[in-house]
Amino acid sequence: MTTAPELLPYSRIREDLFRPLSGISRSYLLATLAALVIGAAGLVAWGYQLRRGMGVTGLQRPVFWGFYIVDFVFWIGISHAGTLISAILRLIDAAWRKPVTRAAEAITVFALMIGGMFPIIHLGRAWLFYWLLPYPNARMIWPNFRSPLLWDLTAIVTYMTGSVIYLYLPLIPDVAQLAKHNMTWRRALYRALSLGWTGSDREWHALERAMKLMACIILAVAVSVHTVVAWDFSMALAPMWHSTIFGPYFVAGAIFSGIAALLVVLAALRKILHLELYLTQRHFHNLAKLLLLMSLLWFYFTVAENLTVWYGNEPKEMAVFGARTRAHYAPYFWATVFLNFVVPFVLLSVRRLRTIATATVASVSVLVGMWLERFVIVVPTLANPRLAAASSLYTPTWVEIAITAATFAAMVMMYLVFSKLFPIIAVWEFKPHKEEED
Amino acid sequence: MYLIGEFRDKAAVRTAICMLRAGGLSSVDLDLFSEEPVEFPQGVLDRPSRMSLAAVAGAVVCGLLATAFVYWTQHNYKLVTGGMPVFSFWATGVITYEMTMLGAIVSTFGWFLWESGVIRKRDKSAPVPDVDPGSICLRVRCRAEEAALASEVMSRSGAIGIERRGEA
Repeated sequence: MTTAPELLPYSRIREDLFRPLSGISRSYLLATLAALVIGAAGLVAWGYQLRRGMGVTGLQRPVFWGFYIVDFVFWIGISHAGTLISAILRLIDAAWRKPVTRAAEAITVFALMIGGMFPIIHLGRAWLFYWLLPYPNARMIWPNFRSPLLWDLTAIVTYMTGSVIYLYLPLIPDVAQLAKHNMTWRRALYRALSLGWTGSDREWHALERAMKLMACIILAVAVSVHTVVAWDFSMALAPMWHSTIFGPYFVAGAIFSGIAALLVVLAALRKILHLELYLTQRHFHNLAKLLLLMSLLWFYFTVAENLTVWYGNEPKEMAVFGARTRAHYAPYFWATVFLNFVVPFVLLSVRRLRTIATATVASVSVLVGMWLERFVIVVPTLANPRLAAASSLYTPTWVEIAITAATFAAMVMMYLVFSKLFPIIAVWEFKPHKEEED
Repeated sequence: MYLIGEFRDKAAVRTAICMLRAGGLSSVDLDLFSEEPVEFPQGVLDRPSRMSLAAVAGAVVCGLLATAFVYWTQHNYKLVTGGMPVFSFWATGVITYEMTMLGAIVSTFGWFLWESGVIRKRDKSAPVPDVDPGSICLRVRCRAEEAALASEVMSRSGAIGIERRGEA
């Protein structure tokens, strides 16, 4: 039987968790290189789009929202992994959260950075992005604060600020330790980030108080962010968008995809950084149960949303419903149901089947399924507007596909860099205990 | 002057703190240093905080300022709204909400920096002990004539080492 990590001597915990910061393995180099190549391809595609204009994308009347908005909604959803899960587990004081929280919080920050890029990429003339900021133009007209797009900007800026602080606060004691023991070029970085942390009880008290307060605030912000993203759609009088359940539906979907992303990241970290002792079957088991719960909730929302439309039989809505379930977009819709509900349900509902491997497979399935779900929500509605004669199909071009692929590479890249600079598990939280309350 | 006692046991530190406080030292004169948070029951070494208040105040101020800003901008260039209000709280409520939350976040962080002392060292001459993993250091600020008694209290409570440093 292996020893619970909380019972290990502190020196061993520190050694194990600081070890991944030094040295670079061949697999790490290969992963970095692959991410760099894919990322560079995405940059080339974006450069091409900036030079040639939005005509190089598949966006055309009436489908003006395509892959970029799908990516935006998807990544903002993924960002709910971290802060939300970490905040909930911190507030209920779940002891098993310790190795999970920092990895989750980092996902939030990186996913928000990626998601926040898409409105700028989607603008076409990215250099005019500052028009979104609240300052008056040449005719002294201010931005329209009634617009859900401006709500989005405000919500994302707030969430980003909160998430960065929420990631940074518990990092301070660890970087102070690193500053003390590190002799390389990183010492200056760690010293600056540790803000002169000495480990006094005043500092610990303030840190714990701030973390609790931040957990409460960030929960309220996280829920609002994805609700606002949902309102981008539901405030429009478009068929199958103008729905009252879109707010909670999006929030549930965001938490769902967030947990899946966290499970995939944890499985990768466990393998690559050899953290088997710290990221145990128990963590995957608990998170898999959460994933299963969210899968059921997602399925409930999907049924409620589609059944209401079908029962109402309103012609314009039925056109979109038909496109989604029986026509051009049907394979994506049914793939969504299969990947988001059938796969997790089969793999995770039986306790015996719930292993690290099945949890990872189910999570990958959910990530693909949730990306497709965003696609199925965004595109068919625009392709089937109220003016039937304007109906059209949307096919993405290589530019959009390359940029989408690059965002996944960017996520991998940022995680690889982060895991080399900072301990991916909060070392100070792993204080040795004789007994641990769960 | 300062005395720094090193302890291995949380209970021993607690005994030392209680005895030192009973001897007339206040909690302002006592500081603990450790590599992990050390928690005691209420009344042993309380550190009163106004962080929640700061968060609420920051939230209210930022929320009000944001609302006032939106109100002003919408009146600064009045659009033709066909009889609808130029400023609608419902349509701009999200901005107010998000800015309220941003105020709470920023003021919590700002207060953390202030209260923890990382940007406001109370006493720059105060020595900071090097804490070994697993040990807890108790720093006592006292007058020279109190030092012998404080040292004896820490020793009796289970300190494994006591060091005298600096002048108070």
